[in-house]
Amino acid sequence: MKRRLGRSRGVNQALAAAVEEAPREADLAFDRLYRDSRDDVYAYAAGLLRDPAAAEEVTATAFERAYRKRSRFDASRGEPRAWLFGIARNAALDELRRRGRRAELAADPADLLAERPDESAEQAERRLAFAAALGALDPRERELIALKFFAGLSNKEIAAVTGVTESNAGTRLHRAVTKLREACDGLL
Amino acid sequence: MDSSRDDERLAMALKELRPTPREEFAAELDERAAAGFPRRSRWARLAPRTLFERLRATPPRKVLLPAGALAATVLVVGTMVIVGDSGGGSSDELAAQEASATESAEAGPLEPGGAKPLLDPSAQGSGEELSGGSASFIPFSSESGAATKLSKRSIERSARITIGVAPVEVSDAASRVSAIVHANQGIVQRSSLHEDEGEARADFRLLIPSGKLGDALAEFSALGQVLSRNEATADITAPTVGAAERLQDSRARIDSLLGQLAAATTEAERETVEAELRGERRRAARLRGRLAGLKRRANLSRVSLQIVSGATSGSGGGWGVGDAYHDAGRILAGAAAVAIVVLAVLAPVALIALLAWLLHRTCLRRARARALG
Repeated sequence: MKRRLGRSRGVNQALAAAVEEAPREADLAFDRLYRDSRDDVYAYAAGLLRDPAAAEEVTATAFERAYRKRSRFDASRGEPRAWLFGIARNAALDELRRRGRRAELAADPADLLAERPDESAEQAERRLAFAAALGALDPRERELIALKFFAGLSNKEIAAVTGVTESNAGTRLHRAVTKLREACDGLL
Repeated sequence: MDSSRDDERLAMALKELRPTPREEFAAELDERAAAGFPRRSRWARLAPRTLFERLRATPPRKVLLPAGALAATVLVVGTMVIVGDSGGGSSDELAAQEASATESAEAGPLEPGGAKPLLDPSAQGSGEELSGGSASFIPFSSESGAATKLSKRSIERSARITIGVAPVEVSDAASRVSAIVHANQGIVQRSSLHEDEGEARADFRLLIPSGKLGDALAEFSALGQVLSRNEATADITAPTVGAAERLQDSRARIDSLLGQLAAATTEAERETVEAELRGERRRAARLRGRLAGLKRRANLSRVSLQIVSGATSGSGGGWGVGDAYHDAGRILAGAAAVAIVVLAVLAPVALIALLAWLLHRTCLRRARARALG
């Protein structure tokens, strides 16, 4: 199964239709979902957990669970990506529970602190400042930011993942973005 | 306008912050995806948590079939156990089992519901009655002090059995009855055979040695279809012991009178003693007769055997539509009983499991919500 590692946004495969067909179709639909969402799931998990190793574990766990549950997906209850991110969210929250800690930034993740060869010192300083502002957000707000800007979910999908209404998700997201923008006022 | 521009800049900045997976991790995950996300540990598949997750992930329609098969298996096995325990039926094997069971029972008359007792009520000492098709042990009551001292009790047995055969086979079956009786050293007290157009009937009154009653009944049952079968036992120990004691007293009295007769000096005295001696000897004779009758009743069991036609469809006791209907009813009743028992067991377990699962889900949901602070 050759995979394309690049990301594609807004692609919602109808897993449910495939479930009703041959199992092979369900596998193909899941394969497409995996290819389109692998990096997004990792980005969301890393943004929430602030720990690359834990994010990898959560990503792998999320896809394992989703693969085993792929035949139970019901398209009438939501989009495949929302379903997948619901599983990933539960895996991430389970990881947080196991660690017995809150989803707060204890230290800047190594990948954020690492120097990037193609950026200037000013850009690096600005990136770290953004990261610090993001880490200072409330975990729930940071999760919304991660779902929206790291995973690329729509407000409707975010609402499905977090279990709130779409308007409520939009309001919360707007509040989080406003808070982050205020924290990064001098940097924008 | 500035706010919109800030949002765009913020989105750009967040895009730069977007974490990306390591290439090694991505390649490893791709390999696992290509392999269908195999379990990380071979033994992890057997872990209860993993099994539970697999069960949850299985579509209900895939669970229903094996669950239904399991339930059906439980029902069939339970039904077989219940039907096997309940006995009865028309098969000769079951009848033979009943005969053996009756033979092994120590005492206790078996009387069918509504049927007249086969025994003389006056002769029934401490017998008790039961209804049903299987023999049961009935403890003796201590009616007589002398009776309780006996190590071996006198039990009178009797049976009434009706065999159904094809009309043309009644005569043959009747002749085989005689052979069976003689083979078991029994006595045919009375026999009659009636044959009309399309119908035939044979009646027997038999005496079978009590020790061979079970074997004889099993052989009778093999003649055709057992339409009815009633067996009864009665404890006649008390009247037997009473008669023996009275006979012993009578003999002692006779010896005493003989002594008085020898010592009599006058004719009048001799006549008086002789008259008393005659009366006592008559009484002893009656007691001996009564005791012999009681012993004969204990040694020989009375069997009332009827061979009738019309109940079977010419197959000589074979399994017919009526039997199938009857057996089907019994099987359905047994299955219903098993289903009720299974439901009675499973319903509370399922309810507890459901409550536990709901509680677990609620707790897990709250714990996850708390994890985000």
